[in-house]
Amino acid sequence: MLFKKNDVIPEYYEFFNSVKIISGYKALETIPFELGKLGAKRPIIITDKGVAQAGLVKHVVDSFGGTDTVIGAVFDETPQDSSNVVVNQIAAIYRAQNCDSIIAIGGGSAIDTAKGVNIVISENTDDLLKFMGNYRLTKPMKPFVVIPTTAGTGSEVTMAAVIANPEKNVKMQFISDLILPKLAVLDPRMTASMPPKITAATGMDALTHSVEAYIGPQKNPVCDAFAAAAIELIRDNIITAVTDGSNKDVRLAMANAALLAGLAFSNSMVGIVHATAHATGGICHVPHGIANSILLPYGLEFYIGKSPKVKGYIESLLLYLAGPEVFVQTPPAERAAKAVAAIRNITNELKKQSGLPVRLSEAGVTEDKLESIAKTTLNDGAIAFSPVEVSFEEALGVLKAAF
Amino acid sequence: MKAVSDYKEIVPGKKLFETLVTRAFMFFIGMGMQTAYRIDPDVKKEVDSWPETFSFLMSVVGGPSMFMLKKAGSFQYLGEKEVFHSDVEMRFKNIEFAYLTMTGRISVPNAVYHNRQFVRGSLIYGMSIIRVLNVVQTLLLPNFIARFYIKEVPRLTFKKVINRAITYFNISYGAIK
Repeated sequence: MLFKKNDVIPEYYEFFNSVKIISGYKALETIPFELGKLGAKRPIIITDKGVAQAGLVKHVVDSFGGTDTVIGAVFDETPQDSSNVVVNQIAAIYRAQNCDSIIAIGGGSAIDTAKGVNIVISENTDDLLKFMGNYRLTKPMKPFVVIPTTAGTGSEVTMAAVIANPEKNVKMQFISDLILPKLAVLDPRMTASMPPKITAATGMDALTHSVEAYIGPQKNPVCDAFAAAAIELIRDNIITAVTDGSNKDVRLAMANAALLAGLAFSNSMVGIVHATAHATGGICHVPHGIANSILLPYGLEFYIGKSPKVKGYIESLLLYLAGPEVFVQTPPAERAAKAVAAIRNITNELKKQSGLPVRLSEAGVTEDKLESIAKTTLNDGAIAFSPVEVSFEEALGVLKAAF
Repeated sequence: MKAVSDYKEIVPGKKLFETLVTRAFMFFIGMGMQTAYRIDPDVKKEVDSWPETFSFLMSVVGGPSMFMLKKAGSFQYLGEKEVFHSDVEMRFKNIEFAYLTMTGRISVPNAVYHNRQFVRGSLIYGMSIIRVLNVVQTLLLPNFIARFYIKEVPRLTFKKVINRAITYFNISYGAIK
């Protein structure tokens, strides 16, 4: 860090996002026009059973009415943890039905599966394994539209996908600018039917993305702007989204917050909260949003105790988490602790309103699993982006505090 | 106005000094990794957890590289070879980024944060390799220099000093051989 003279601007950063964002009422209706501009008329829809049963695919199909765009096929059997087997199965349908583009409707699993299908089709392969890692893709991808149905993952604007390979027993990660969708469509109809607990968990997932992006080592002015806007939207809307799910304005605000958080963390990356949450999900099958929600305050407390620099970033987060009045009324020395308290206020209220767990023990994690979760944490890719070194004992300490 | 024929192509310089320095540091790191596997229990534990015939390539796009192979109970530095497959590849985007990282002016974690380098292959093994590289750098470098390379420098112990001496000896021997 010999170049670095001060903290005014990072000595170096990269930011990339090429996704066109369409947000608002009747936003779905614009998809055929946008696909037409990309030369596509016959998309395959990739989704899961839950989304199909909630009638969300019908919204999309109906929105294509009066156009010459034809739905080539609808695959609605994407499992919770998608695999290369499912990806190859969908690719076979895509080819057999002469599709020319992909529409993903759903949460992280459906979107990641669709990204996998796009790799298989565009690279003309059936072996995803050889594209694992960063920057291995070389071919231009097929036109790809994402319609998120959960306001949390931000996958509609991220350049990463995780797909399991059960045969080799590995979770394959793909990172490339090329897998970014061409279009992300946020329509309040698509998140209106989300149950309160999932609304709470996915909203907290988005909050974790934005907070970790804001304090991470790849922090930069572009990501900061997106993260700050996301945090303010979540602060103002998450409780209402849980208590009044039919409020379309609030639903749209949360969908935008998740997208903004996705833009921030896709470039700025995440740290110990995500690393421990991934490990907790992998070992104890705790949903990702719930694990993030539980671990976020404890991860921040770990940083506060270990790094004065990160503590400084958390202090400035109070402005967005609690608003300008609270920020100016709080002495600088107390701001970091108050920022964590502001997050706890949100999670405690969400627990009251939707039953969202605030401790690992409430989420089905048993104490004997903590050591293996800590061990797995150290192998998670996110830990490389923790602003401080994390030992096994420290990861275990965070997990025990959250237990 | 100049004639069309006056416009000549420009071939940028080779950056020979940066390439030479990077190649030398890659030799130190490769020999360091090979030695660390024999003398450091943490490195041995990490490497032993990788599959047999696991290979690792550190390279610069269009520049020097070093190749490591785990085979038959050893972890060997095989120098700069043209390889068609490696299980994990850690690549610097250009020679300048590699040179700045190798000379400690950008720490290894910062090179990762800034996307100045990237990993191809399984990120789980990539994480394990980063942990090995952290230990190797504490063996290769005095603590006051190592702090430019890694996030947290471990306390200097007598054992560490001995291991460092063994590493220096092995690298010197490897260089002569």
